[in-house]
Amino acid sequence: MRRSACTLVAAVALAFAATAAWSQDKPKPPPAWWQGKPEAMKDSPLAPHPGKMTETPASEIPIERIKLPKGFKVEIWAAGLPGGRAMAIGDSGKKIYVGTRAIGRVYEVTDHGDKRTVRVVIDKLTQPAGVAFHKGSLYVMAIDKVLRFDGIEDNPDVAPVDLTDRFALPPEPHHNWKYIAFGPDGKLYVPFGAPCNICEVSKEYAQLRRYNPDGSGMEVIATGIRNTVGFDWHPKTGKLWFTDHGRDWMGDDTPDDELNILDKEGAFFGFPYCHAKGVPDPDIKKPDPCKGVTLPIANMGPHTAVMGIKFYTGKMFPKEYQGAAFVARKGSWNRTELSGFDVVVVKASPDGKNAKVQPFMTGFIEDAKARKFWGRPAYLAQLKDGSLLVSDEQMGAIYRVTYQKK
Amino acid sequence: MAGVPSLAGQPRVFLEHYLVMTREGIRGTELMQQVLKGVSDREIAAIARHYAALEPRAEPGPRDAALFERGRHVAQAHRCGTCHAPDYRGREQMPRLAGQREDFLLEAMLAYRENRRRGGDTIMAASLYGIAEADLKALAHYFAHLP
Repeated sequence: MRRSACTLVAAVALAFAATAAWSQDKPKPPPAWWQGKPEAMKDSPLAPHPGKMTETPASEIPIERIKLPKGFKVEIWAAGLPGGRAMAIGDSGKKIYVGTRAIGRVYEVTDHGDKRTVRVVIDKLTQPAGVAFHKGSLYVMAIDKVLRFDGIEDNPDVAPVDLTDRFALPPEPHHNWKYIAFGPDGKLYVPFGAPCNICEVSKEYAQLRRYNPDGSGMEVIATGIRNTVGFDWHPKTGKLWFTDHGRDWMGDDTPDDELNILDKEGAFFGFPYCHAKGVPDPDIKKPDPCKGVTLPIANMGPHTAVMGIKFYTGKMFPKEYQGAAFVARKGSWNRTELSGFDVVVVKASPDGKNAKVQPFMTGFIEDAKARKFWGRPAYLAQLKDGSLLVSDEQMGAIYRVTYQKK
Repeated sequence: MAGVPSLAGQPRVFLEHYLVMTREGIRGTELMQQVLKGVSDREIAAIARHYAALEPRAEPGPRDAALFERGRHVAQAHRCGTCHAPDYRGREQMPRLAGQREDFLLEAMLAYRENRRRGGDTIMAASLYGIAEADLKALAHYFAHLP
């Protein structure tokens, strides 16, 4: 095992040398995501799945294939939002704002009780994935832009205030689309992913920051985080729980994606040296790679793409779900057989001990071996009545999960 | 036409994405954005199917054997075929490179490398990060001369 790892590294080094020999310009660092793609996998056909950028009518969404525990029901709550993912609920509870990546739009879904309508709030942005609502204002964060829409629920045509300059966003785009949320402290939490699959990062990346709502007072509160695009605060402890995507190209079954707790500000979560619950990186090495690393409270499955997390604080669902965390797993690409493509529920002590990860919403995979699926659950939101919204980035739809005692 | 990419034989999903993003004003040229203004999702899906079914007809200029060979090495070293398929004919959301116009390929790659190209997958910026311009020229020449 050890020897084959050395051979791989040697092969990678040779490939780098070959590239360098062809270059006449001054030597530059190798392309970042290319690192860690070993010679042995060079012919691997795995690549990220294509999204769908055109509207999918509700009639073409196979909702009947979704499976839930007994007593739960699911309906299509809204459709026609290609690429819709993170959701921010407006103060009135009647409007929900939905971010996207490639298609560059932010949607507003208005709930009329019996039906929902969808409009585009803003478009032409570079991956405006981050949306948050705070004191009457919608915050939108794209890779290279931060906008605030004041009073948008009452004034749909309000012009945004551009806050970009205050947030000092670094230039690398990869893994720098955002998930954003306001914490119980009223501050805006913003992740900055590693701009690569696996690499040493400069000081602006692989971290979580928080800002005052106007972009001032920036603090880096955690480092060593590869790419978190989902977090929430525990309803009892107030601690931040966040999901994190593990690296690619280490094989089908390692490393796991993570669920972490930020217990102490300034904690280091291991990237790029130490993954999951203590897996040393084969490419970026240092002695004692996991020393001083805060390990996850739960492994979330290899390559599953853990996205949104939401603590359930409602009363509609049975007791066993109250206070538990729902986590959406958008699903794997860097794995021979599909994994994830579901919503799981994580039941744990308030300090994160004894975490159990159980399936909750499944049925999105058609054929795991043939790598066929129809939907990709991405984010979660809780409505006032205690029902749970689940966005499906592939179908451009939002589902609503309810529970009724028999 | 100089600088204008060839669409024939591109993967259907790539064309669909490209056309939607151009209509949305996040990719492509201003001229193409105007052309696609108001075109519906359904029409875009039909246009994508049409061009995907056409036989590509590459008309590259004379082939420089050394440059072609260098391009072949660079493409292999950087694993371009992992996503764009081993024959570089593309698949799903990843465009066909084989037989594409050389000038277009070079400009696209330079723009990705310098973060000038909006709307594309960020993985392309990451993939081309730090590659020498001479290597990009070789890549463009190599891809343009593939069947």
